Amino acid sequence: MGIMSRIHTGPRQWTDEDDSLPPDSWGRAPSVRRALPWGFVLVVALLVVGRFALAPHLASPALQTWATIFVAICVQALPFLVFGVALSAAITAFVPASFWTRALPRRPAAAVPVAGMAGAVLPGCECASVPVASGLMARGVTPAAALAFLLASPAINPIVLVATAVAFPGQPLMVAARFGASLVVAVLVGWLWLRFGRSDWLRIPSRPHGEGSKLAVFGDAMRHDLLHAGGFLIVGGLAAATLNVLVPREWLTAVAQVPWLAVLVMALLAVLLSICSEADAFVAASMTAFSPTAKLAFLVVGPMVDLKLIALQVGTFGRAFAARFVPLTFVLAVAVSALSGWLLL
Amino acid sequence: MAAAVNRLSQNLILVLLGGAVLRISAFSTTYLNYVKPGFRPFLIGAGAVLLVLGLTGLVQAWRAKEGAGDGHAPAGGPPAGGNGHDDPAGDGGGRGQGHGHGHGHGGPRIAWLMCLPVFAIFLIAPPALGSFAAARSDDPPPRRSQALTAFTPLDGKGPVDMKISEFIARAWDDEKKSLTGRTVRLTGFAVPSRKPGRWYLTRMQLACCAADAFPLKVLVKGVEAPPADTWVEVTGTWIPPTFEKMPNGAVHPELSATGLVEIDAPAEPYED
Repeated sequence: MGIMSRIHTGPRQWTDEDDSLPPDSWGRAPSVRRALPWGFVLVVALLVVGRFALAPHLASPALQTWATIFVAICVQALPFLVFGVALSAAITAFVPASFWTRALPRRPAAAVPVAGMAGAVLPGCECASVPVASGLMARGVTPAAALAFLLASPAINPIVLVATAVAFPGQPLMVAARFGASLVVAVLVGWLWLRFGRSDWLRIPSRPHGEGSKLAVFGDAMRHDLLHAGGFLIVGGLAAATLNVLVPREWLTAVAQVPWLAVLVMALLAVLLSICSEADAFVAASMTAFSPTAKLAFLVVGPMVDLKLIALQVGTFGRAFAARFVPLTFVLAVAVSALSGWLLL
Repeated sequence: MAAAVNRLSQNLILVLLGGAVLRISAFSTTYLNYVKPGFRPFLIGAGAVLLVLGLTGLVQAWRAKEGAGDGHAPAGGPPAGGNGHDDPAGDGGGRGQGHGHGHGHGGPRIAWLMCLPVFAIFLIAPPALGSFAAARSDDPPPRRSQALTAFTPLDGKGPVDMKISEFIARAWDDEKKSLTGRTVRLTGFAVPSRKPGRWYLTRMQLACCAADAFPLKVLVKGVEAPPADTWVEVTGTWIPPTFEKMPNGAVHPELSATGLVEIDAPAEPYED
C-alpha cells in the first residue's frame, strides 16, 4: 500500500516541479533539480529489488529473531513517540510565549521546583526540550528554572509515564520511582545551578522566531521532532536487538549480577543509545537480565543525558555550559536512581 | 545515502514508514508477531498520523515551489529546500542554526534510519519468535502472584485444553495437585533440548512486546520430537516431580505424551 502511493507521488512531484519552474528563477533551477529525492529513489529501488532478490536468502533464525525484536521495539514505541511529538509540537505552536513568565513564581528558588513540576504536565520531547528551555531563558525566565524544566519535561510527562506503565505491566513502583527520581534530579540540578552557576558559562540564545500560520508551525515542529527522535529510536532498537541476539546470555547475567556495575552499565548505555524518552521504557524492559534498579538508572539518565542531548546543548548553550552541566546531571541522576531503586524497587 | 535529507525525502520517509505500519496493523495481523493484540488501534492511529503528516508535507513542499513563481515564498519554500542540499552536511547545518532552532529544513541524516524498520518489515518479514529465541533464554518465567491463589478443580471428562502457563502454574504451585491423572491438551511449538532426544513444547509470553518475551516450556516425553518450530497439539498427563524441593536453575514441568497432532501456526502466536 505504501509502495503504491509512493510510486504515484514520486513522478508527479517531478513533473510538477518542471512545469512550475518560473522564468525568473533561472538561478535556482539547478538546485531544485538537485533537490530531487535521490536518496529516496535509492531506498525504493533497494526495496523493490530486495523483495525479489534478497528476501529468500534472509531466513536465518538468528537474523529473523533479531529483526522481530528490532521491529517489535520500533512498532511498540512508535505510537507513544507520535503522540508525544504531537503534543509537544502543539505546545510550541499554540502556547504563547508570555504564558511562561506569568506562570512561574518570581523568586528563583521557588521557580525551580515549579518549573520542574510543570514538566509533569507539559509533554516535551527531549529534542524539543532544549529549544523550549532556550526560548524560556530568552523570554526572561531564570536559567536555573528553565534548566529544571529542560531536565524534567522529557522525563516525567504523562505520556512517558504511561509508556513506562505499559512497558512494565504490574510494576507501578517502577513508574513512581521514575517520576520521583527524575523530578528530584531536575530540581537538585536547578538549585545547584542557581547557587553555583555563573552567568558567563551560559550563552543565552536570541529568541527563536516563529513563521507562518500556527498550523504550519505545528506541522513543521512535529515533522522536525519526529525525524530527529525517530532516527534515534531506531538506533536504540538496533542496539537492543543486537544485544539481545548476539551477546551471550552468560555475559549479560555476569554483568547484571554485580549491582553497581549493572547500574553503571545501564546508565552509560542510556547515554550512548540516546533513545527518546517516550520510547526508552520498552528498550529498558527488553533488558531482562538486569535488575529493576539498573533499569531505573537507564530510565532516569536517558532523558537527561545522552549523546544527542549533549550535541544539542553544546550547540544551543555553548561548550562551557555543557562541560559543567552534563557531568553534574549524570552523577546526580545515577546517584538518585540508585538510591530510589534501593528504597523502592 | 549520506546526503542530507531534503524536504521531499523527509516527507516521503514519513509516508513510507506510515504505510508500513498501516500494512502490518490495519491490513493484516502481522502486528501480532510483535506486540499484544490490544495495541492495534494505537498502531493504526500512529501509522495514519505519519501518513497524513508526510502527505501534507509533500503538498506543502509542492505548493511552496509553485508559489515561488509569484515572487513570494511561503514558509518552507525553495530557500529552505535549498538549505538542505547546498549544505552537504545537512545535520551540521540543522544543528548549526540550532540557536534559533526548529527551522532547519535540511533534515538530520539520522532520519534515513527510519527506513530500516520498513526494510525489515518488507524484506525479512520477521516471524513470531520461535525456537531460536526460546532456546536462548533458559531463565524460568517470572512467578506470578496469582499463582498462589486457589486453582479451580478440573471438572468434566476427556482431555482438558489448557494454556501452557496454566499447566506450569498448576504443576508447581497447586497444593491439591489437580493435574494428577488428568489428560490435558497443550498447544505450542517444538524446541529441541540441548540434551539429545528430548524436546520442549513451548509458547512465548509477552510482558509488553516481543523484545521482552520469555518462553514457557514443558518437557515432553513419550513421543518422537517433531522438527524445531513445528506447531503441535500434545495430549498427555503430567509427570509429578520426583524431587522434594525445587532445585536451582531452570526446571520445566514434564508431560507424558500419548498423542501429537501437527497444526497450523495460530494467528496469535503468543500466549496472553
